[in-house]
Formats: sequence, C-alpha cells, structure tokens
Amino acid sequence: MASVDLKDITKRFGAVEVIKGLNLTVADGSFCALLGPSGCGKSTLLRMIAGLEDITSGDASIGGTVVTHVEPAKRGVAMVFQSYALYPHLTVAQNISFSLSLAGASKAAQAEAAGRIARMLQLEALMDRRPAQLSGGQRQRVAIGRALVRDPKVFLFDEPLSNLDALLRVQMRLELAKLHSDLKTTMIYVTHDQVEAMTLADKIVVLDKGVIQQAGSPLEMYNTPANRFVAGFIGSPAMNFLPARARMAPGGLEVTLPGATPLTLPARKVQDFTGDRAVTLGIRPEHLKITAADQAQVSGTVTVVEYLGNTTYVYVDTPHGPVIVESDEAVGTQTGQTLNLSLDLSQVHVFDETGMAWAKRG
Amino acid sequence: MTDTAAPTSLARLQRINKIGGVLTVLTLLGAILWAFPLYWGVITTFKPEQDVVREGVEFWPERFTFESYSHVLFQTKIGLWYLNSLVTSLITTLLVLVMSAAAGYAISQMNFPGRRVLWWVILASFMVPIPALIVNHFVLMSQLRLLNTWSGVILPQLIAPVTVMIYKQFFDSVPKDFREAAVMDGATEWQLLFRLYLPMNWGITTALGIITFIGAWNAFLWPFLAVTTEDKMNVTVGITQVTDAFGVKYARQLASAVLAGLPVAAVYLIFQRRVTQAIMLTAGIKG
Repeated sequence: MASVDLKDITKRFGAVEVIKGLNLTVADGSFCALLGPSGCGKSTLLRMIAGLEDITSGDASIGGTVVTHVEPAKRGVAMVFQSYALYPHLTVAQNISFSLSLAGASKAAQAEAAGRIARMLQLEALMDRRPAQLSGGQRQRVAIGRALVRDPKVFLFDEPLSNLDALLRVQMRLELAKLHSDLKTTMIYVTHDQVEAMTLADKIVVLDKGVIQQAGSPLEMYNTPANRFVAGFIGSPAMNFLPARARMAPGGLEVTLPGATPLTLPARKVQDFTGDRAVTLGIRPEHLKITAADQAQVSGTVTVVEYLGNTTYVYVDTPHGPVIVESDEAVGTQTGQTLNLSLDLSQVHVFDETGMAWAKRG
Repeated sequence: MTDTAAPTSLARLQRINKIGGVLTVLTLLGAILWAFPLYWGVITTFKPEQDVVREGVEFWPERFTFESYSHVLFQTKIGLWYLNSLVTSLITTLLVLVMSAAAGYAISQMNFPGRRVLWWVILASFMVPIPALIVNHFVLMSQLRLLNTWSGVILPQLIAPVTVMIYKQFFDSVPKDFREAAVMDGATEWQLLFRLYLPMNWGITTALGIITFIGAWNAFLWPFLAVTTEDKMNVTVGITQVTDAFGVKYARQLASAVLAGLPVAAVYLIFQRRVTQAIMLTAGIKG
C-alpha cells in the first residue's frame, strides 16, 4: 500500500497543454475517482501515474519515492484497462500469471499464484478458457486478477466498467467496492460516470480542461460544489441554473429572479458585499417542489414527463430557462400543463459571474 | 400485371442460365488448356524414351514403365539436391520470418531516430526487381567466398521487403492496450515481440512461412548462378543435370521435374487455405 503524490504535474502534447500544473495527494489505502468529461485529461493523468505517458514537468511519487522517470513495471502499480487488454492467445490462467512468467517465475509458482487469484475472484472454472470464450463480466474479473497477481501498491482503473451492460456494471461496481474493502490497497479510478465515482470512491477529483475543479468526498462534492462546473457535473439529473440578481437586505442575502418577487436566502456567509450583483442560482431537481399558484416562486409549462417508477422527472420551460423537477407528487402531470414551483431556499447554491460558489451556506 | 411480369422474369432467368452455361464451358476450356501440359508431362514420365520421341500423339502410354523415376532416384544425386533444397529453403524461411517480424515490429512499435527513413528505404527496395541486383549479389558472394555454399544460396534470398511490410501492417493493427498491459507486466521489447505480437499473429506467420518456403524451394536463377558443384545444387538446379552422353532424355527430365515439384505440391495441398491467404496478403500490399 502507498500514497500517491503529484506535484506541479504538466503534460503537453506538442503545443497543447492537457494537464496544467496539477497537484494532488491520494492517501494510502483510499479509493480516489478521477471524474470529468471526455478530453478533460483524467486518463492522461492516470497513464502518467502508470508510467505509460511521460510527465512534461513536475514529479510523481508513489509511497514517498519519486517515480517520474521510473519504468511502468517498476513503479509497483497495476492497471486495469477499459478494453481489459486480455491476451487473446493465452488462457485465463496464463493471462493471470503472465507477469510472473515474464519475470521467469517457475511453473509451480505461476500455477499457485493463478490459483490463489482465481479462488479470490471465483474464476476457478474458467482457467483453461481463452478470453473470447468469456462474458464481459468474466473478462473484467480476469483483468482484475491480472492486476492482483502483481501484488501492487496502487491499483489504477481506466474506465473499467464502461464496456459492460447496466446490470453487470452495478454488479461489478459492488465487487470492486468489496475488493477495495478486502485489500485496502490504494485505488485510483478514472470514470466519466458520476454514479460510479459517487458510489465507489471516498475521494472524488473533478477535472476539466486539465485543471482540478474540486477534490473531496462524494457528499462534499454534491452538497457544496466549488463552482458551477462541479455543480452541473455532479448529480443526475443535473442541477438547474437560473439567472438572478443578489443584494444584501436586512433579513440576509436577497436574490431576485427576473420579474419575480425577491427571495431571502437563510444563513449565508457573505463578506464585504454591498450593492447588488448578477449571480446564477443553482437548485437541484429534488429541491424544487410542486406547489399551489399563490405560493409559486417559478412557474412554467411542462414539456416532458419521465416516470421512473420510484420517482418522476418533469421538464419545465420557465421564463428563466428550462428546469428539471424531481418529485413523487408529479404523477398525473400532463405535457403542456402549467406547473407552479417553489424553491427550497436552504438548498439554493449561488454562483458569481466567474462561476465560483459564492454566499455559501453558513 | 402478374401475368406479364412472370414471363418476363422467366425469360431473364433463361438468359442468365445461358450466359452461365457459356461461362462454365469457357472456364472448363481454360482449365483443360492449363492442365494439359501438366497431364502431358506426367504421362510422359511413364513412357519408355523411344515412345516419347516417336511420331504421332499418344494421350495414354502404350507401355508403362518406371524406368525414368528409377534412373532419377538411383542414378543421380537427387537425394542430395533434395537435402540442399530443404536446408536452404528452411533456413531462408526461418531467417526471413524472424528478421521481417523484428523489422516490422521495430518500425511499427518502436520510436528511434531514422525510423521513417528506414521505412522509406524498405518501401523503395520493394521497387527494385531482384534480378537487377543479381550481378551485385554474385560479385559480393564471390568476394565473401560463399559461392557453392548453402550460405551463398541463402543470403541473397533474405531480402524480403514485402514480408516486412505485411508484418508492420499487422503489428500496426494490434490495439495499443495489449502492448501497454504487457509493458505494465514488465515485458521487454523482445518479450513483446516473441510472446505477444508474434503469437497474436500466428496466422500471418504461418501464411508467410509457407509462401516464403515455396518461393525458396522454387528459386532457380540465383541458386543456378551461385552453385556450380553438383553436390551443393538445389533440386531445381540439379534436374538440369539429368542428361547423358546422348543428350536430353525427355522422360527422365520430366520425371525429375515431377519429383522436384512434389514437395511444393504437397505443401500447397496441405496448407491450401494459408497459401491463398498469403497470396492475397502480398497482392494487397502490391496493389
């Protein structure tokens, strides 16, 4: 087990800078998810930790040892690839023990190690099969087994579940969580799926354009996003954003949607603010309530209704822009109907003109 | 509408049927034209020499004899020629495959200064017909004192840019995840080539091996120039020695040709599918 420290990491491909002076510490034994949209640099970062990509500048350390210029195989890390990268000409047993075979381990040692891993991952019945004869989930387990056999200090996962169907993905997610709880090895997991990140990780790092937008626990990311990007990226359906103006009033911070009555946000930390400013209000779909017309803070026309069984999503066109409402009370709502909504003011996020969180809850 | 459509489509089918029939007959004629010399050669080997040179056309031997085969097998050095062919062809095949795979791998997967130039040189060498280099090869082998040796026969046959190109093409198509996974597992470049890239492309190696072997076995011009002593001759060159004081004996000549071609025919029959695959691969590159 080991911690991973990245200091001032920069990566350039020609003139394009994909990682910009990044600093990150992944604690020993933690499960860290690198989350972000396609092209944000998360896979490049993982590959730099693995040693598959050169680091343009900065230093990477694993377990306190600088590994910036160390060969991948000597860093004490193992990687599970998105495509699994199982060698098609080898059996499951040979795939698992491939690294030992390369290192010149005896046949007996290879068989013993492969057997141990197979028992752990319930692969015993598949040892003589080739990858083409395995299902997606079985391939995934073999890929994990191939990483496990190296007894690494750090596991690296590059979108390992993205090739699986929805049901299998949930199952494998549970297996990964169990694996981490059993091994307690440091794991770094790249994904663009925030559900995977939220459910598996104890630390999420949200990246955009090669810069860390926020790093923290899943609930911290969900409840107190540092900026509009993180707020919009974490949570499904995404947070609603409404343009407004803010000013200090005797009762606290007052925000006003265009053409609407001012709303006072309770318990906000605002320093040295006078006058008024343009802000963006962020409100999650579950914090919008369907209400009576006389209590409505926002009204609009229903465009789409999605029934998920346990909840309902209602897409509403308002004068302030489209919003999504998540509500158990929306059953029976019809397209074209006018819907009156109230905001849970304690859950409203405020972002300034630069998109940074402002007037946070006290 | 159905009443008129039915006779029209029937007439069209009949026309297609007639065209098909004509094409079949033409193909059959072509096959007979191609196969007749082969048939003529083989039946001639079973005729006594005087029957071969006799006037008139004899499609089936009047008298059967194995004298030609007996002569070639027991009165010539065909056993030695077979051995020479086998050794030079096998070594040529093995070296061509190993060197081409290594070169193809290096150009496809490794980064080193001059890689692009090297690739262009290999492509350019493909444009030069081998017979154009034959004088240079002869002078070089002579200076190296390798004429009349197996090495002298083998070395100039190792120039195989097509094989390098095919290997490069296939190694290019291997997803990079495999390479990276093996690198993470601690594989060296040699281990990557011999434990990953070659085993993952065994089909290509087999196909190229067979076609290289057949090419080396059938080679005539260079072995003919490089070897003058009968003991070092390949079977293709050796059969030209099947003459006696009275000149050419057709039945014996043809019997030696049949014996020389038998191993290649056997290889082709056994590995027919692989040979076709290899021909298509090389045709693809040439195209």
